[in-house]
Amino acid sequence: MSQLLPVLVLAIFVITFGCVLLWFSSLISIRGKDDPVKDETYECGLPSENTGPTKISVKFYLTAILFILFDIEIIFMYPWAVTYGDFISGGHGLYVFGAMAFFLAVFVFGLFWEVKSKALEWE
Amino acid sequence: MLAEAIAFYTLAFFLVFFAYRVITVPNPLHSALYLVLMMIGLAAAFFNLGAQFIAGVQLIVYAGAVMVLFVMVLMLFDLRSELRAFSRGLVSGALKVMSAALLAGIALGAANSSVAILQPPADGAVSADVTKQLGVLLYTKYLFAFEILGVLLLVVAVGVVAVSRMKGGTHGHH
Amino acid sequence: MGADVFEIGVNFVKLILVFLMMVQVVPLLVWVERRGSAYIQNRLGPNRVGPLGLMQLLADAVKFLTKEEFVPGRGYPFIYYAAPVVAMIPAALAFASLPLSVPVNVEAFEMLGRTWGPYIFKFQGYEIGIGIVFVLGVSSLAAYALLLAGYGSSNKYALYGALRASAQTISYELAMGLSIVGVILLFNTFSFAEIVTAQSAPLNFMFLGNKVEIAWLPNWGIFYQPLGAVILFAAMFAEANRLPFDLPEAEGELVAGYHTEYAGFKFNMFFIGEYGHMLVASGLMVIFFFGGYTFYPFFTPESVAGWFAGMSATKASLLTALVLHAVMLAKIVLFLWIFIWVRWTLPRFRYDQLMDLGWRTMLPWALANTILTAIVILIMRHPWGA
Repeated sequence: MSQLLPVLVLAIFVITFGCVLLWFSSLISIRGKDDPVKDETYECGLPSENTGPTKISVKFYLTAILFILFDIEIIFMYPWAVTYGDFISGGHGLYVFGAMAFFLAVFVFGLFWEVKSKALEWE
Repeated sequence: MLAEAIAFYTLAFFLVFFAYRVITVPNPLHSALYLVLMMIGLAAAFFNLGAQFIAGVQLIVYAGAVMVLFVMVLMLFDLRSELRAFSRGLVSGALKVMSAALLAGIALGAANSSVAILQPPADGAVSADVTKQLGVLLYTKYLFAFEILGVLLLVVAVGVVAVSRMKGGTHGHH
Repeated sequence: MGADVFEIGVNFVKLILVFLMMVQVVPLLVWVERRGSAYIQNRLGPNRVGPLGLMQLLADAVKFLTKEEFVPGRGYPFIYYAAPVVAMIPAALAFASLPLSVPVNVEAFEMLGRTWGPYIFKFQGYEIGIGIVFVLGVSSLAAYALLLAGYGSSNKYALYGALRASAQTISYELAMGLSIVGVILLFNTFSFAEIVTAQSAPLNFMFLGNKVEIAWLPNWGIFYQPLGAVILFAAMFAEANRLPFDLPEAEGELVAGYHTEYAGFKFNMFFIGEYGHMLVASGLMVIFFFGGYTFYPFFTPESVAGWFAGMSATKASLLTALVLHAVMLAKIVLFLWIFIWVRWTLPRFRYDQLMDLGWRTMLPWALANTILTAIVILIMRHPWGA
């Protein structure tokens, strides 16, 4: 708890700071005339044509999903990296290296396959 | 001891509240955003219980990766029809009531069994060692599960690419 | 946050100071950026308002505050307003956890008729046991501010900008996370303070059971992890959405990207977030690879404390911390300048080049760096068990 509290306090302070600034600038800002065109979405001066859903390349989803998978693999290396020195000092260096070597081999194979399958290519 | 209890139950209250909003908010994107808040709150709860590394993983993987994907995907769809479908109607109302009841039941059960959690470990300062212990356990006792996990992730990665290749999608067009 | 009123008060003031430090760095960096870019491009830059054009910053602030308040008609007002506030949080939380100097020891003293202390104040917002994981976790939340901005303003350009930005930040987060594994392998800890302490010594390592020491070089991470340092620094550029990775706001294609519909102070808050990321990135580079607040032969906590040996313990401790803080700041400023220098030197990538670089160049190299580091450490410390 003692470590969490300052983080929460800072987060709340930043939010308050932001809100107060937004409120203050809305108080002293200069108001122009209201105009329906002004409220329109900015599309370089043309009337906006926001009809129907936007089509987006599936690559964005693919990138995001592959990111999650690789991110999990990388997260699993953190406890390994932090205990690596202790394992070596304890005389089990080769064991812990081997344990990770298999995992890393799968990781490298996965990455190699993704590159090879052109899943990561944006044209 | 009392401070610990207050902290735990305050966090728990916010968690349950965010979870409740996830179900009841009509706009799917807003409910995804509440889910993000819930994930962050869950990380704070883990942190509060001394599982600092798990809290970090919760932040990085769930709040920072999985939910980014959810929000990204939801942002790109025109959700007007879904909004209509889920904001009114007898079926969705009944579903809401049922899930709220289910949530209340789970919350009650959790609150009942969480009393034991309130015996905190002797000192929070040993948390760095907790992470090291986690590492040692992971690479000795649970080594097999860990290696299998690597293979599983590979299978998922291959599957994702295969699915994205299926005909009828928007793949290849911009 | 502390045992009594004094400790709680100091810790609270510290938190706010760290945050204000991040906020006030923005106008200064904007000024440096303008003058620096002018210098690089053989122009003069803003030099009319006040000495060296420094008053330009105040004029800008007034302009920002008086801009008309505007919410796009189709947008979602709450999300639209929340996005710039959210943009400041990850950088602020991450920066507060970086150690900026040695802790200050305050001896027991008399005030208001009672004895206070002794206290130890960390020279940072707060210390988190798993510092590195915390910073990574918090900065992985940075994508939300962009997504919220894109969604809240209901603008095509903003939406595309947000999408590009989040796809880019997550892609480079992989290389970033992986290049840090090498650092953790080297120092075997998640704590920033321990990493800095390890670097405040002459260059030394075990080589097949013999201890090798080079007395005239500091024990900095850069000597062990040069590739990791380059990958981390490059990934940090992408995380902060800086040129050459500023595709989310490529003005030729997307008007201004995710902040197309933002003006006035809301726009400025996005900048506080961006410069905050630069500050965190510079801080991490300094802590991981360049000795943090120490500079081995000249400024180590012990040697600097020696300068103030004659004074009272509290005063000496405070002065030591301030001197080392200045060392840290000098290094951070150097990296901030590199950020600006690169922005005005390199052209922008194309989007496919950007994703290519992230996934097919930096990720494999970071992976190779990790494997190589593990193998080398294994060989160098050969008689295992020692």
